[in-house]
Amino acid sequence: MFNLILVGLNHRTAKLDVRQLASFNAEQLPDGLRRLSEYPDIRESMIVSTCNRVEILSNVDPQSDGVESIESFLSEYSGIARPQLQPKLYQYRDEQAVRHVFRVASSLDSMVLGEPQILGQMKSCYTTAVDARTVGTSLNSLLQSAFRIAKRVRSETSIGEYPVSVSSAAVELVRKIFGDLQKKSILIVGAGKMGEAAIHHLADMGAKAIYVTNRSPEAARDLAGRFNGLAVPFAELNHWISHVDIVITSTGASDMLITRSMVQSVMHERKNAPIAFIDISVPRNIDPEIGAIGNVFCYDIDDLAAVVEANLHERVKAAATAEKIIEQEVQAFCAKAKSMDVGPVVKQVQGRIQAICQTELERCLRKLGPQEEKQLQELETMIARIAGKIAHPLVMQLRSNPNSLNESAYMDLITRLIKTKDSE
Amino acid sequence: MGWTLSVTIALYSLGLLHSVFGFWQKRQVFVRIALGMVACGFAFHTLSLILLSVQRRHFPITNLPESLCFFAWCISLTFMIADIRYRINVLGAFILPLVSLLTIFSQVIWEDHNAIPAPLNSAWVHFHVSVAFLAYAAFFLTFVSGVLYLIQEKELKEKHFRFLYFRLPSLQVCDELFRRSLFVGFVAMSLAIISGAVWAQQAWGRFWSWDPKETASLVTWGIYLALVNYRFSTRWRGRRAAYISIVGFVSTLFTFGVNWGLHRYL
Repeated sequence: MFNLILVGLNHRTAKLDVRQLASFNAEQLPDGLRRLSEYPDIRESMIVSTCNRVEILSNVDPQSDGVESIESFLSEYSGIARPQLQPKLYQYRDEQAVRHVFRVASSLDSMVLGEPQILGQMKSCYTTAVDARTVGTSLNSLLQSAFRIAKRVRSETSIGEYPVSVSSAAVELVRKIFGDLQKKSILIVGAGKMGEAAIHHLADMGAKAIYVTNRSPEAARDLAGRFNGLAVPFAELNHWISHVDIVITSTGASDMLITRSMVQSVMHERKNAPIAFIDISVPRNIDPEIGAIGNVFCYDIDDLAAVVEANLHERVKAAATAEKIIEQEVQAFCAKAKSMDVGPVVKQVQGRIQAICQTELERCLRKLGPQEEKQLQELETMIARIAGKIAHPLVMQLRSNPNSLNESAYMDLITRLIKTKDSE
Repeated sequence: MGWTLSVTIALYSLGLLHSVFGFWQKRQVFVRIALGMVACGFAFHTLSLILLSVQRRHFPITNLPESLCFFAWCISLTFMIADIRYRINVLGAFILPLVSLLTIFSQVIWEDHNAIPAPLNSAWVHFHVSVAFLAYAAFFLTFVSGVLYLIQEKELKEKHFRFLYFRLPSLQVCDELFRRSLFVGFVAMSLAIISGAVWAQQAWGRFWSWDPKETASLVTWGIYLALVNYRFSTRWRGRRAAYISIVGFVSTLFTFGVNWGLHRYL
């Protein structure tokens, strides 16, 4: 197995200021990779740098530890002294490193569980490393597997399906009522700072029409411009409520703008067509009692928070399934990597040749009878040298070709050839 | 039981398992596999009905097991149309249990007693029975979409963001399926009653004789007439319409069940 080592820090181990110092932007990455590759024990490397993590993944010389080089590189680069940096760093080796890379790519290690950006960020970091020629066959196969597994996790679990921001949860909620929003119209009441993101999100859903109203007409016009909607007079609130499907209130008013009796009379005009109210204002502008009227759905900011909570809970459940998939993939990957390991095969080749030479020497000595000490030594040295010289090119060949396309088949063939000889 | 029906039952059951698993785990793949299996099952089901018709030289719908088997075929057909048209992932988990059960049950109680009285053996048998069963199947779909609507509406109103909230379709989709299936069912039911009357006139010389099945179907038709009227005039929307569809379906089942009097053959 190759000697993988991963050293890094993330949102759990380091505060933002440290992460910022240690992070690499797109321009710095190639230079960082080049400087990293100058360490003699680093064979391959790539750097994953996002706002929540900085990780260095390397394939290092089997004779060395590797951590030493990576840590001194990080310390030098970030300008943080090693004693301060070290407690914030985690390190993983071989199987653990493989597992960590798979988990990160599948967004199981993210701050917001299941968020989709990490995969793209990892891909671009990988591309940079490929361009900088610091990635070889072993990291290549590891990262390709990680990308494939991340896709598998997305398609086989529902980890990314549940929106976990208040604004997207609001969209999801009204979709459960209206399905496709393209034929629906939205009325935005007020210009409050609260929940502007939610309004933007809903306004961006491609609704058929967006109407905006406010007590002050100028503010309404300004809002209409921002949301690409139509400003309507505040006095006609009733009329517009009877014409739209979704009403969002976000005002600074401290009174109830929309009351039960108002909605009751509107429902008559609407011929009971369903309507959703989303009240983002604090204090509330919509009487929560209206939710008792048939075909009226009313949610306030706490309800949206409850949706987010429920969605996060679903993600956590999906993550448990994802962990199982990853464990399975880690085992498969490590088994494959082990099968490509040349070490045992090299030993077998050398051992076999030595054994042949040794038997032949013993037979020869039996025929010749007792020998003098010096002659015996000379013969033994000769035999050992022959064995070494026969084995050497074979071993070189093996070592130089550990990652060709049919590597495992190649190893298998050699192992079998030796075994066949053994059983003769 | 012919081999075609054995294959049909196997495919429907596999489709059911995949639907339920897909519903439970929210896995689209399994739902698509389920649809494929049901489609293959449906093909074998059709083949078995054709083979039986050829062998009998009449429509295989002359006793209870045969009619149950044909009813399953009709539901399977409406399910596939609805699923392909609306892509409601959870539909299979709610409809396929009945399809599988009906098919299996019809085979368990299968009987070869299937004579058709001479005066009734006319081209009308195909039309009358087909539209009647299509109406039953469509009303079943109306019933299922009504129930799904009620559950989802309850979750949304009571702000329970849980298992069913995540899995059931939007109210809009439930309502759409509700209206379409109601419309198709109502038209088919009307045609069944009219064709039955015309056929009765030819066979027995009377349009209407108030036999139990005729009476029951008229009651059912009346319930759905009211539902269609109020739903399409939008006064009954959502919950109320869904409740009426449940009443209507109970009445439909009763209509399906009363097989005596002139309809003793079925």
